[in-house]
Amino acid sequence: MMEKLLNTLKIDALVVGGGIAGMQSALDLADQGYQVAMVEKEASIGGKMIALSKVFPTLDCCSCITTPKMSAVAHHENIHLFTYCEVQSVEENTNGFKTTVLQKPRYLDADACTGCRMCEYVCPIDLRNPFDLNMGATRAVRVPFSTAVPQIAVLDMENCILCGKCEKACPVGCIDFSQQPKLFTLQTDTIILATGFETTKRDAKKEYGAGELHNVIDGLMMERLLAPTGPYGRIIRPGDGKEPDSIAYVQCAGSRDKTLGVEYCSRVCCMYAIKQAMLISGSLPLADITIYYMDIRAFGKGYEQFFQNARAMGVEFVRGKVAKITQDDHQNPVVRFESTDNGSKVSERTHDLVVLSTGMLPSYDTKPVYRIPAGDDGFVYVPEPNSAPCVTDREGIFVTGAAAGPMDIVDSIVMAGAAAMESAAYMSEKQDQAEIHEQAEESEMEVAHV
Amino acid sequence: MSESTNPKKKEEKDEEVRIGVYTCYCGGNISDAVDCEHVKKVMTDLPNVVVSRTDMSMCSDAGQALIEKDIKEKGINRVIVGACAPSLHEQTFRGTVARAGLNPYLYHHVGLREQDSWVSHGDYRGATCKALNLMTAGVAKTRLLAPLEPIRLEAEKHALVIGGGVAGLRTALDTARRGIQVTLIEKSPFLGGRMAQLGKVFPTDEDACATLDKLIQKVASHPKVTIFTQAEVTGVSGYVGDYQIKILQQSRGINNDIAEAVLDADMPKVPDAFNYGLTERKVIYKAYPGCYPPTPAVDWAHYNGEPIIVNGQPTIFYNKPKNFDLKVGAIVVATGFKPYEPRAGEYGYKELPEVVTLPQLIRYLELDKTTRTLTWAGRAVNDIALIHCVGSRDTEGVHEPQADGQVNNYCSRVCCTATLHMANELRERFPDTNIYDFYEDIRTYGRGHETYYQKALEGMVRFLRYRGIERPEVVAAPEGDTHPVLVRAKDSLSQGEEMEVAADLVVLAVGMMPTQVDELVQMLKISRGVDRFLAEVHPKLRPVETAVNGVILAGTAQGPMTIQESVAAASAAAVKVAVLLGQGEVQLDPFVAYVDPEKCDGNGACIEVCKYEDAIKMETVTINGKDVKRAVVTPANCAGCGGCVSACPNRAIDIQGWTLDQYDAMVDAIALDLWDLMEVPA
Amino acid sequence: MAENKKHKPKILILATISGGYAGADSVGQLHTDYPTNTYILPVLCPCIFPEEFYLRCFEQGIDAILVMYSGTDSPYKGGPERTAVMINQTYPLMKERGIDTRRLRLAAICTVCTKPFLKEVTQMDTLLKGIGFVRDEMTIPEAVQ
Repeated sequence: MMEKLLNTLKIDALVVGGGIAGMQSALDLADQGYQVAMVEKEASIGGKMIALSKVFPTLDCCSCITTPKMSAVAHHENIHLFTYCEVQSVEENTNGFKTTVLQKPRYLDADACTGCRMCEYVCPIDLRNPFDLNMGATRAVRVPFSTAVPQIAVLDMENCILCGKCEKACPVGCIDFSQQPKLFTLQTDTIILATGFETTKRDAKKEYGAGELHNVIDGLMMERLLAPTGPYGRIIRPGDGKEPDSIAYVQCAGSRDKTLGVEYCSRVCCMYAIKQAMLISGSLPLADITIYYMDIRAFGKGYEQFFQNARAMGVEFVRGKVAKITQDDHQNPVVRFESTDNGSKVSERTHDLVVLSTGMLPSYDTKPVYRIPAGDDGFVYVPEPNSAPCVTDREGIFVTGAAAGPMDIVDSIVMAGAAAMESAAYMSEKQDQAEIHEQAEESEMEVAHV
Repeated sequence: MSESTNPKKKEEKDEEVRIGVYTCYCGGNISDAVDCEHVKKVMTDLPNVVVSRTDMSMCSDAGQALIEKDIKEKGINRVIVGACAPSLHEQTFRGTVARAGLNPYLYHHVGLREQDSWVSHGDYRGATCKALNLMTAGVAKTRLLAPLEPIRLEAEKHALVIGGGVAGLRTALDTARRGIQVTLIEKSPFLGGRMAQLGKVFPTDEDACATLDKLIQKVASHPKVTIFTQAEVTGVSGYVGDYQIKILQQSRGINNDIAEAVLDADMPKVPDAFNYGLTERKVIYKAYPGCYPPTPAVDWAHYNGEPIIVNGQPTIFYNKPKNFDLKVGAIVVATGFKPYEPRAGEYGYKELPEVVTLPQLIRYLELDKTTRTLTWAGRAVNDIALIHCVGSRDTEGVHEPQADGQVNNYCSRVCCTATLHMANELRERFPDTNIYDFYEDIRTYGRGHETYYQKALEGMVRFLRYRGIERPEVVAAPEGDTHPVLVRAKDSLSQGEEMEVAADLVVLAVGMMPTQVDELVQMLKISRGVDRFLAEVHPKLRPVETAVNGVILAGTAQGPMTIQESVAAASAAAVKVAVLLGQGEVQLDPFVAYVDPEKCDGNGACIEVCKYEDAIKMETVTINGKDVKRAVVTPANCAGCGGCVSACPNRAIDIQGWTLDQYDAMVDAIALDLWDLMEVPA
Repeated sequence: MAENKKHKPKILILATISGGYAGADSVGQLHTDYPTNTYILPVLCPCIFPEEFYLRCFEQGIDAILVMYSGTDSPYKGGPERTAVMINQTYPLMKERGIDTRRLRLAAICTVCTKPFLKEVTQMDTLLKGIGFVRDEMTIPEAVQ
């Protein structure tokens, strides 16, 4: 099917990355009538956003924003979705870009799979669920998560024991243990990079326990705990399953920190911590929530009001940098901090659970494949941010979303529209030039005839 | 309540109504406050309901697939979903049912989230019972839904962009690059907006005017863009794809022959708003040396009509305003912002001459870019105090409201970085100055912004941190003091000590306010948020669109933004214009009046009340061999208000999709007492 | 049934999509609670409703009707004026039937009018707590019986 598609279709734009930014760019191009190919390295589109609980400042459930866009991408007649694929190389030619893409094996026939999950039910291998940041359990063959698009299973060959149970259980016989990776190419006029971000590793900072403290988690883990589809269905400490009465947020845990080589602000952590604090006080009304911070950066539309609401709800904001986190004999994290509200005195406080407000890091180096350099901060370099925020220094290739620096969802969606505009305008102008060129050639021919 | 009233319904008459009811958990947003499973159970027993289901997230692909499957496998021919507000996902589900082969108007959406679960905390049974009534009413309407066809209209491939600042310019350029005709109008005589008033800008330290000029040149030379300066919208009618716009343009007053000479002529002067009143300019002027258009303009508000000697000739200038009409398919509002103007006395503003705003200081430094000594009011400036959050992050009941009773409780987003950018510039240009920065939180959030903060810390800018409710105080220094002004604050960085800084200059980092566009807002029927900036439909689902189809927002009219963010938002606005108008056709919901000729007796009551030209006409038709008069609707001219519906004594006219029968059915369902269906409390 | 405390008088809210309905959505976004005996139906413009519609609502057992229209912000020419006319013409008919005219109220609510929305709802709810169910005061015309 794919070969047929690739042989017969002229694709205009390639969008790399199926997170919120990539999806919006693809939709904004496809709605204008352009043929778009989307390549996503994971087995489902949705990016980081689909794993979140509710989103600031409206407290909409994240699914309500993401899943309809995922669905729209999957069903759009002008969008061709390639999941579980990675871009290998990009060659420039007279028609634009020839991109070689690797289709990783799902070890099943994706066209035949109906997403019925029979394979998942019979699989004997229990694994920690990567979608729940290793908190819940899953199987070696599975549909990645309940709202995954496409609803197609993927087999984790690293953990599979080839017992063959799934093969027997599959009603359409689509399991194929011998599937091999495949390469294919896409010819497009333009490319949009929407490769997103990673978050600070939980073990990045020695002073914060280097990931070894049982009840110190990161922001994304808390998102999963708060999500209705989360691993436990409620907020518990991963260390011992106890419901926490006292929860602390440590801001800038991975941002504005020279010792980690990250000097920039990650832009979203203040707001997600405040949002999580509000959601926690909804489900654990008696819990004390403390946010240790340097500056609260509630800068977006409606954000400051959101911050003030959290304050009014009784969330405690302590101004001061956390120096160290240790744990006591009951595995309760102990936070050592210098409060500037309290005469810069160094104090210690014990909490039941600490959430590190981890920051945003570049996830993908565009240099080797796309020959596009990174800025000092490691994100995709944008030469003229005030004139052309989506234009990279390679003509025809554009960047959007958090690939171009930390960004919240609202800003990513707006920038995704801008990237779609840039690439559409680029294609229009190229088309116009081609027509002018053609007309010139025609008139030359006429002259020749005379 | 027979269905025979709509001619279109007749075909469907014999078809059995089979309804699918879906109640969404909305990831807990609904199910936390409403017993969705109970709603599902009660719905199952209603007449015509074939399936009733719940799902964690109906709008997800899996949720939508449920509906599609039921349509195909269970023969569902009407669908109702109880979920979030219809403004968010009604369209999504219309698309779902259409994909499964059903007419999209056989879908009905009930808002259970914004109007029930989110407003009924702590009353689980009350909220559930309310949901039962709302869903029962929804099912009652769904039962009476008829298939409809959208109205397709040719769209004018032409967009109007209102505002010639960086956002308007960018939207105009991008829209034109996609082959759509653009008319750009600007109220003032020159393009460039607020960006033209800046000097070097973050995060690149490029010259704002140079960057702007490149953009203006591209816009002005684009064959698809027409620019009108000194122009304003005075009237709007029509709808998406076909707006009729009335524009009023003032004369420029100057022709090119005297363009050079007139600038040298002697004439009255007025405070120069471009320099925030720091200097004066002539009543015939250019905003700044490289401005566009380059021809000077007469400031009609201040020109007194007296002759001015130009080239030795006494010359009188006349304003002959022009009115003209435009037909456009879409409208982009890029009306921008104005800096917050502090009250007289706020931090000593207007009372102490040494207190200025940041925009004023930027202009002041631009006026003489070469000087290496900073003076203010004839005095050398050594100590400068910067105060953040002036006119931003105010608290109702704590901070004094503005003249209109409002307080700006929002963060203006750009001022922290702009202030620190300025602090660094001052330290570089005038290395002997001492700078004191009074702040609550430093919000250098953007890419490259934090660098300015680091640089300021390293550059020996002294930071003093106050608490939000204990803002600094600016007072005149006692006579004979070394400095004219004192700034006092409790500094939490020095253990809450009361600090006093003697300053030669106090700079207020003022926030952003929306440009006053009340009349335009009224004409376009768009809305403002509580912060008074123009409101988008939803910050994530439709971030640049207004609730009015075809009216789109760009830049700081919508909220505080940096230049970079304005440019991105402007391009995002252009993409929406391109999507809307690119195909040359728009689709409108067919919610217009229709007449049942069997019930109409030709009395004409409907025509009498109708305010829309040619929307309803009386035509002579032959029924049973007799010539009779019957009302006939022209759908393209009908707005769908329904005034005719309440006027008709025979219930012969109705609005498609919103019929009186449907309302009666919904009212009956709401009136039902459903408490008895609530289970006994645990 | 009426003696059960759970049975509360019902308020029907007819709210314009361009005004009151969006205003109610804004209240939701703020998560501000108001009584659950309130049922909002979206309307394009309430000028669609003739007097009999309102009377019929009361007959069916709706205890109060709040018409939340868009006032001067209405996108419909003449719509707000006609709405007011229809409602004014309904009041004497309500009186004839012994219905307290305070049970029908017209208010202009815009998309961000969260406070006015809550005020209208609370006032009407308070009124109903005092005057009770409509059926207890209505004199049903014989023809209808």
